[in-house]
Amino acid sequence: MLSSISKYLLFIFITCIIFNCKKPFNPVPLTARTNYLVVDGFINTGLNGVTTINLSRARSLSDSTYDVLPEGNASVDIESSSGDSYPLQQVSSLAYSSNPLNLDINQKYRVHVTTSNGEQYLSDFVTVKQSPPIDSVTWQQDNGVNIYVNTHDATNNTRYYRWDYTETWEHNAFYEISWGVKDHIIFSVTYVTYATYTYHCWSDSNSTSIILGTSAALSQDVISKQLVRVIPNNNEKIGIRYSILVRQYALTPEAYQYWGIIQKNTQGIGTLFDVQPSQLHGNIASVSDLSEPVIGFISAGSVQEKRIFIDHLDLANWSPPPSQLYCPIKNIPQNSNFLYYDYPDTTYVPYYFTSGGGLNITKSYCLDCRVQGGTNLKPPFWQ
Amino acid sequence: MRTFKNGFILLGIPLFFSLGVIAQDSARISGDFKNTPFEQFVKEVEAQSAYHFYFDKAEIDSIGITGLFSKQSLSTVLEEVFRNTSLKFTIDHYRVFIAGNYQIKTLPANFFDDKATADDSVSNIIKPAETDIRNQKAISSIENKLIVIGVKQNKAGGKATIAGYVRDIKSGEPIAGVSVYIITPSIIATTDQYGYYSLTVPAGRYEINISSIGMKDTKRQVLVYSDDKLDIEMQDFIATLKTVVVTSERRSNVKGLQMGLDKLNTKLIKQIPVVFGETDILKVVLTLPGVTSVGEASTGFNVRGGSTDQNLILFNDATIYNPSHLFGFFSAFNPDVVKGIELYKSAIPVKYGGRLSSVLDVSVRDGNVKNWTGSAGIGPLTGKFSIEGPIQKDKTSIIFGTRTTYSNWLLRSIPNTAYSNSQAGFSDYTLHISHIVNAKNTLYLTGYYSKDQFNLNNDTTYKYSSSNLSLKWKHNFNNKFNNVLTAVANHYDYSISSSQNPVNAYKLGFNIDQFDFRSDFNYIPDNKHNISFGISSIFYKLHPGFFDPVGSKSLVAPDVVPAEQGLESAIYLGDEYTISPKFSINAGLRYSMFNYLGPHDVYEYVPGIPRTVSTIKDTIAYGSGKLIKTYQAPEIRVALRYALSDNNSLKLSFNTMQQYIHMLSNTTAISPTDIWKLSDPNIKPQQGQQLSFGYYQNFNSNTIETSVEVYYKEMEHFLDYKSGASLVLNKHIETEVINTRGRAYGIEFLIKKLSGKLNGWLSYTYSRTMLKADDPLAGETINNGNYYPANFDKPHNINFIGNYRFSHRLSISANFVYSTGRPVTVPLAVFTIGGVPSLYYSQRNEYRIPDYMRADLSVTLEGNHKVKQKIHNSWSAGVYNLTARQNAYSVYYTQENGKIKGYQLSIFGTIIPFVTYNFKF
Repeated sequence: MLSSISKYLLFIFITCIIFNCKKPFNPVPLTARTNYLVVDGFINTGLNGVTTINLSRARSLSDSTYDVLPEGNASVDIESSSGDSYPLQQVSSLAYSSNPLNLDINQKYRVHVTTSNGEQYLSDFVTVKQSPPIDSVTWQQDNGVNIYVNTHDATNNTRYYRWDYTETWEHNAFYEISWGVKDHIIFSVTYVTYATYTYHCWSDSNSTSIILGTSAALSQDVISKQLVRVIPNNNEKIGIRYSILVRQYALTPEAYQYWGIIQKNTQGIGTLFDVQPSQLHGNIASVSDLSEPVIGFISAGSVQEKRIFIDHLDLANWSPPPSQLYCPIKNIPQNSNFLYYDYPDTTYVPYYFTSGGGLNITKSYCLDCRVQGGTNLKPPFWQ
Repeated sequence: MRTFKNGFILLGIPLFFSLGVIAQDSARISGDFKNTPFEQFVKEVEAQSAYHFYFDKAEIDSIGITGLFSKQSLSTVLEEVFRNTSLKFTIDHYRVFIAGNYQIKTLPANFFDDKATADDSVSNIIKPAETDIRNQKAISSIENKLIVIGVKQNKAGGKATIAGYVRDIKSGEPIAGVSVYIITPSIIATTDQYGYYSLTVPAGRYEINISSIGMKDTKRQVLVYSDDKLDIEMQDFIATLKTVVVTSERRSNVKGLQMGLDKLNTKLIKQIPVVFGETDILKVVLTLPGVTSVGEASTGFNVRGGSTDQNLILFNDATIYNPSHLFGFFSAFNPDVVKGIELYKSAIPVKYGGRLSSVLDVSVRDGNVKNWTGSAGIGPLTGKFSIEGPIQKDKTSIIFGTRTTYSNWLLRSIPNTAYSNSQAGFSDYTLHISHIVNAKNTLYLTGYYSKDQFNLNNDTTYKYSSSNLSLKWKHNFNNKFNNVLTAVANHYDYSISSSQNPVNAYKLGFNIDQFDFRSDFNYIPDNKHNISFGISSIFYKLHPGFFDPVGSKSLVAPDVVPAEQGLESAIYLGDEYTISPKFSINAGLRYSMFNYLGPHDVYEYVPGIPRTVSTIKDTIAYGSGKLIKTYQAPEIRVALRYALSDNNSLKLSFNTMQQYIHMLSNTTAISPTDIWKLSDPNIKPQQGQQLSFGYYQNFNSNTIETSVEVYYKEMEHFLDYKSGASLVLNKHIETEVINTRGRAYGIEFLIKKLSGKLNGWLSYTYSRTMLKADDPLAGETINNGNYYPANFDKPHNINFIGNYRFSHRLSISANFVYSTGRPVTVPLAVFTIGGVPSLYYSQRNEYRIPDYMRADLSVTLEGNHKVKQKIHNSWSAGVYNLTARQNAYSVYYTQENGKIKGYQLSIFGTIIPFVTYNFKF
């Protein structure tokens, strides 16, 4: 009877299955008060360390913009466990900075904030955790460019790390400029006078994700090839020359856990086994209302940093897409005073004098890289 | 064909019955019938007239007669009665023959002269199948034969116990849940899971009736002198559509002491449409009232507000830690070797313990002891095969089943590289051998192996496997007293490995070894008491985690969470006492004890302040076999039943439970990374108590069952987790957990019809599960220590399962599921910290995902039912998620181009058609 099985072994299946469907999920209308105070900063106990604390307010998810909502006019102090106080001055709409300080690393420190409406907030006293130096920042081209940080602590004491970075890249205007205009007078610009030479620019941006690493599971306190940044393939940031400054912070396990929750809550990608989002419990509280949510976790310690450069020429098959700028060139007759320029459309600037007489002009954004963002002042670290 | 006089009447009084008899007229029939059972009708007609009826009880079982007849001829009456049935009748003088689908051609000349050979009349009938008739003949003749039980004794009176096994005549498979009863005096016994029954009666002559779901009723004429055995064979009920369910079983809902129990046999399970057409036992369990799950692709289930680790899942007494395959898309049990399931939700029998919420008992079929047979099935994702037969005819049988998947094509077809670069595979194997040593001894050996392996995006490989081996020896000391000795070895392991970065290449895993030994006694001194007692002991050895480097370049430091040992022992005694036909009680006490054993290092924390690594006061090292901590507690199991009438009853039960092993999971569904942990000096056993009350009512001659059950349940020392708790490789889990208190309550309504062309059930459940985390030793509370809904708190649940049989071969099934969306924690605010926008989340489980709703349809076409045919095949085709509703499995928020966006993820967000092919040989 088993013999006749084989002829029955035919099957049909239908493949019109779309497996994984996702669609927007708009939660219930949120009416709760959500403008929680956000205290973002790090007590810098390094040599001549400047501590900067950013104060802002959380926004409702339904807000039209998530731009940072600064909390100005507050008074912010660092307080030590021995009772010393170091005031911070407001340096921008949301940033408060100390003078360069040399804080005693054997003390504990906390942050004391008094907002403009008189509400007082205190962080816990935190112990100072000095970061070991960064051993190296390395990179590897693999589809995109992956940038890694390597570090170690021979005393095996650090174990928990956070990094952030500032990247800077060089970019050029569409056309190289020869002439500038000041008070309607055309003048010649050269590479030497940076202030007017607007062909080379440098732009920068800060990290946009929380980067954490731990060696807690390793026998030695070694961080090997911790990925800090992935530059997508053919990205124009490495069109000429690129630099990244990686900063390293040592964390306590609690601070690591806090940043880990922020990382998870922010970067969680939908998978079948997503961990439940966790409530944030920072180490800052309102003095008058302990139940008021306050966002932030204050740590104290030194900051270590390391910079590397990557040249476009270092990369294989890296071709940033061509610029999409529209650069029309117009030829206008020269004035009698050929250095006098008064073309009515001020978005046009002189490009070059044509050999047959007349002046070719074009859109200013084609000649001035600063219009695309960035500065034409070469950063001091640029090599 | 046989005569039938009485038999039905005394067991149950028909519901809607009234009769107005007019004058006695030998040829004319009068009466007012309202859904009167046919047998009752016959009795009345026979009383009124000289007519005598000959029929097969099974064929007329479900016919109810309604009509007002006044001095009408019998043929008119019968024409009316049988108008909508396939039954034919023949009136020969005063003899009336009712013959199902057969057409009586001629009657032999000597037919009425010799009643004893009445069975020979079948030779004059157009036969449906030779073997069927043969069995029927054998059964019919044994039904009329007087069987002498025991030996004649001189002293008059006294009681005797009849006991034995009830088996299927074709396969020899024991049948559980069969009612074996005598009408006067009213004595009922039910066969246990081994098909064994025991019936104590005063010496004398009786007719014993035997009836069971899906089997043809049978009876035995016995003359009882003293204790003796009586094995009974029953015939499967394949040919007749008109009746399926037998009255006494239908009534067990009302009559039985058990409450909060759902029994399903595989036949029924197979009718229910499921995704990809793969019969799935656990998916059917999810349609029962009081059972929910967190999401569609999770076979972990929650019973009456319990968490997924609070269910004891037994596969022929072996403990199954992960009942699912392939991320939970399939359950890990091969339906072809499963006899059925029993899910205990409230009155948990005293012999079970160790989990708080429920016991899911999956039983494996005994193999066919008469012939070699098998079955196979092919679906879009899985294939299965089983074979069974006698090693030694009527003594030793074997059944083997296996399943595997070829689902990789599906993963590859997903337009997402993370999935298309993934591979998934599973297989499971079940082997069961039963051996009848002699009348008093039976041995059972069950082996189970299941493994899963999946590789996500060519990087991380997940593996898990279960292996179980159980050996059971059932010994009958005498008809009243038997014992089952059980020894089980269970093993479960899982691992995750990755070797993409040679420096960090690792393998992470854990495993559980569990050895069970138990001895269960059953003593039935008379028909009023059914006493069970026994002892059990479980030895656990857990490796809660190891983390090993892979390759020579790996810098991963090997890390091992030390093994844990524990011994869970219990002793129990229970009695099911029938005080009167109306009132019965089942009371039991179970005393359980747990010993946490060395070698182990135990952390001692500074008392009274939150437990963190920095509050560890001392580490105490215990040597091998040293007793570290003992927990013990009595567990009470009480159930009461009071029958208001034959058709309705009230039941009350109270239970307390203890649980000494816990699953640690910070995710919302069972995932393969969940870790198990024993209670230790710092993690207390979970405790639960449940009070439930139910009202049961049957309608329409017991064809429709209804019930309402309410329950209230409290849980102590339930484990919830601190924010961002890290559970993997954690040597001090007690610093990550919050000792949580839970309470659950609900009401469950059920309407069930398991007979007739249309069958199925409809249930509605309202239930809540609330947790409260205010453990001062945790250092943090959840939602400020207020009650918050558990992850699986889904207040409203509606389940409908319906099956309609058009003919023997064609049936259509539908189900409908609705439930409230489960609670989620959603982000409320966005803020920027460290240059990164991030989210501030709501209170835990403050909001809910959209409600879940799904309808499925399937059609099953079976090949012809010729009994002689060697291969019986069936096709089933259907659609899962008929309305293509995109039910949210989970919701998540992610950062896209600087904006925080919320998404809901549907797993089966479209219509999924399927075709499967099954055959038996």
